[in-house]
Amino acid sequence: MLRRLKFIAALGVMSLLALMLSAEQRFPTPDFDNGYRLPSASTPAARQLWLQYADAGVFLAALGIAVWLIYKKRSRRGLFWLSLFSLAYFGFYRKGCICPIGSPQNIVYGLFNPDYAVPVTVLIFCFAPIVAALFAGRAFCAGVCPQGALQDFVLIKPLAVPLWLEHALSVVPYMFLGAGLIYAGTGTGFVICRYDPFVPLFRLSGSIFILTFGAAFLLAGMFVGRPYCRFLCPYGGLLRLASLASKWRVRVTPDSCTQCRLCEQSCPFGAMREPAPAGTNPDRLGAERKRLAWLLALLPALVLGGAWAGSKLGPAAAQLDPAVALAERYTRQQSFPVQYGLMTPEALSLQRASGNPAEILAAAADLRRRFDLAALLFGGWIGLVIGLKLLALSVRQSRTDFEPDRGACVACARCFTACPNERVRLGWMPAADEPAPP
Amino acid sequence: MKPSPLYRALCLTAWIAGGFCLLVCAGMLYEHFAAATNDPWKSPQLLALKENLADTPRNEPLQKQIRQLDLEFRQKFRHRLALDKTGAWLLLGGMLVLVLAAGKAAALQKTLPLPQPKTDAGELSVKLASRARWSLAGVGLAVAGSLLIIRLGNSSFLPANQAAWQKLLNQPGADQAPAEVAPSLAEAQANWPRFRGWDGGGVAAPGSAALSWNPTNGAGVLWRSAIPAPGHSSPVVWGGHVFISGGTADRREVFCYNASSGAMLWRRAIENVPGSPPKISDMLEDTGCAAPTMAADGRRVYAIFANGDLAALNFDGSGVWTKYLGPIKNSYGYATSLAVWGNILLIQLDQGETDTAGSKLISLQGASGQVLWERARPVPASWATPIVIEAAGKMQIITLANPWVIAYTLADGNELWRAQLLESEVVPSPVFAGGLVFLLNPGTRLLALRPDGAGDVTKTHVAWSTDENVPDIASPVSNGELVFTVTSMGIVTCFDASDGKKIWGKDLAMEVQASPAIRGGQLFILGENGALVALQAARAFQEIGRSQLPDKFLASPAFAGGHVFLRGVTNLYSLGPADAKLAQQP
Repeated sequence: MLRRLKFIAALGVMSLLALMLSAEQRFPTPDFDNGYRLPSASTPAARQLWLQYADAGVFLAALGIAVWLIYKKRSRRGLFWLSLFSLAYFGFYRKGCICPIGSPQNIVYGLFNPDYAVPVTVLIFCFAPIVAALFAGRAFCAGVCPQGALQDFVLIKPLAVPLWLEHALSVVPYMFLGAGLIYAGTGTGFVICRYDPFVPLFRLSGSIFILTFGAAFLLAGMFVGRPYCRFLCPYGGLLRLASLASKWRVRVTPDSCTQCRLCEQSCPFGAMREPAPAGTNPDRLGAERKRLAWLLALLPALVLGGAWAGSKLGPAAAQLDPAVALAERYTRQQSFPVQYGLMTPEALSLQRASGNPAEILAAAADLRRRFDLAALLFGGWIGLVIGLKLLALSVRQSRTDFEPDRGACVACARCFTACPNERVRLGWMPAADEPAPP
Repeated sequence: MKPSPLYRALCLTAWIAGGFCLLVCAGMLYEHFAAATNDPWKSPQLLALKENLADTPRNEPLQKQIRQLDLEFRQKFRHRLALDKTGAWLLLGGMLVLVLAAGKAAALQKTLPLPQPKTDAGELSVKLASRARWSLAGVGLAVAGSLLIIRLGNSSFLPANQAAWQKLLNQPGADQAPAEVAPSLAEAQANWPRFRGWDGGGVAAPGSAALSWNPTNGAGVLWRSAIPAPGHSSPVVWGGHVFISGGTADRREVFCYNASSGAMLWRRAIENVPGSPPKISDMLEDTGCAAPTMAADGRRVYAIFANGDLAALNFDGSGVWTKYLGPIKNSYGYATSLAVWGNILLIQLDQGETDTAGSKLISLQGASGQVLWERARPVPASWATPIVIEAAGKMQIITLANPWVIAYTLADGNELWRAQLLESEVVPSPVFAGGLVFLLNPGTRLLALRPDGAGDVTKTHVAWSTDENVPDIASPVSNGELVFTVTSMGIVTCFDASDGKKIWGKDLAMEVQASPAIRGGQLFILGENGALVALQAARAFQEIGRSQLPDKFLASPAFAGGHVFLRGVTNLYSLGPADAKLAQQP
């Protein structure tokens, strides 16, 4: 029964997204007119400044409320309503823009392009969640992020992702972050925003690719808790790092852990970590130390190897840039002329290029130089991320109690009420029923 | 255990919501696919009608039929958009109910966990870490493999390294469009590349092939071809191609004919010019949209229309570039012809009545359409065509408009000199011969100007002027020794080019709008009624011959390859011997 319902739900989501495609269709310009002059294309006016600051104010307030709900009230219900508000306001009302997920691109773009001044509101949206994470973990993910709220909302029957797979896939957001910052720094575009799977849902329009992408994430999100947040979100990667150093941490219970494992069962995001003994098997000690030494030695090799491999990717990566693509088409046309139709986009772009080939080629040369360096850095970054993760997986961590992984926990507060101690504290359960500590 | 009533109710709700979603989906899908058959881009019905319209552009019932069908498609499209929007919100609502009900039902059916204590946590964590490391290595390899495939699949024509880039960027010609050899003066003189010939003077270059038409024996029509669209532009000729433009408020076209046979080689509609409205809303019927004569440089042919559409086409009719320079504010309709020098295209875009803000002279690179320079002009709308001359050691562009004659340098458009000599609506174009620029202040004076001054030369550089029989439409023509003018009433007057004294005058008793031309010592005057009169271009009046053509003529004649090309209102003609067999093209 339930399976059939899920199937219907999935079908519904897919159909919804498929039908949204029709909104993209455009009608041809009139063949006849009655004197009406088509207005020239114009860029929509920017949102008024005071409204931008109002958005930032709402954002900061929501962030503060999230921290209060997590640490003071320990309220899952409060976080649920807050995330619904965020979904409505930052998602459907503000249509997913501005959002912290894409904001690092603005910062990097501003760093490498002096003509662009990063707006104060962008700085607020970018750094406020990180500062909050340095003190209180991923409060932004818990109740302010509309993307996270949407995924939380469709989660019907969470299935556990094997922890080893969770660890392996946790490096992907950093790779995506690296790619996004490279394309932002070179001025090519904001790929993190372009490939955000949920923004087209907020806007009820988008390309076929990205709508399918979003539908796939929603479909997966019915059975896998927050797949985008855990395995792709680049900003989540930044918050994960900041949370590792957070002053306060989310605790399942303020009291002693009974190690009943109920909290582990309650976490749909695989963030709960079980107790690990402090000591180690003396037989394995040597092998573990040796492995650690090898991995430490491997780290620079991975970085250098990645940088070398990345350096070969510059030309391919640069192809996504419109200026490089135009120079490519122009030079290709010199060797293998193609007759394009009158007024086709190809013919128009070639016309533009042939008007001033030196400018186009010089711009492409400059971009290719940038991309050569950026791709080298990107390759090194991938090597560093994998190397550090390998090291992290080779360092034994000891825990006496069940506790959320500082980086992986999105502070959703689901585990709070799963804990018998918490239930006793709240008066939901008589103290006599509380299991004894081990 | 029997399910609770709440669970059953939730399941039922979820089922109903799911069914509702499916129904909405089905409806939207049906609309979506049904709409595809009404796609106006692809509708065979509409395409067929449009094709028919191209053949019979003035077929009003057909236009009405297309309008009606177009309107129906648009209404259906708007209706479908509205349905889509409603459907999307309905789906969203249905999905909300479905997810809420299914989630709640799942929660009710959830079995409470009963986890057991782990005794081998240490061992498990070691195994987990090991497996995670291997899977991480797998992820790394997958990423590396993907990047490798991207790298191998990428092929680029751009240089692979900085040295190659430097070589490409430093090679000659990299700072400009691909080198193109401009046509030589001899090439231009052998053809008729613009209004009134290679220099706009209306004088065919000496040494041209003998005329196939002998005016002393009467004219025969070598061939005659129908002109599919109205227009007053004169023919331009290059390398066996004759080009004319034509069009209506809805459609602008360029036509190319074989100069030997008159067969139409191609016709090309100038459409979808970025920024240009599809229809000219304020076109004057008398002037039409295709009054400006085209220009050719041996590589491309250029056309401009009254609405401001400018296009460059290859000689095979394929497009090179287009620009929209409009809207052009001109009370009678824009009619200034294009000028070309080498591979530089010149556009005198005068407009406005009292407000002269939009008037300008534009120099374009022919190959790319790139603007080389642009100069604002302090004049209202005019209809005269500029000429390019070499005088005082400079290449000069001579322009006429009320009240200024202004000369600009060809290279950078800087003003050289100006003279306040003109009034009213300036239609006749200037000519340059024997070191003097001859120009008409319409209906008032014929003036000769020395083009070697600087600044305002109004009082210093007028060599002579006369007020006898001054035309208001047709431009003058000069062989350097004599200057000839023809008024609209057909009065031909010969002046001495050195002092402006009238030598003779003759009433040809016909209305004339076409500008006269000189070829091989003979002066050709084409009357509106189709009379082509050949006179001796000499100090004594002598009519050599007169032929009659069955058409109305407003455009000026073109001479190239030993042939005369005339554009009538309905047909394009090439003249031949009187006994030539008529080769009529459809």
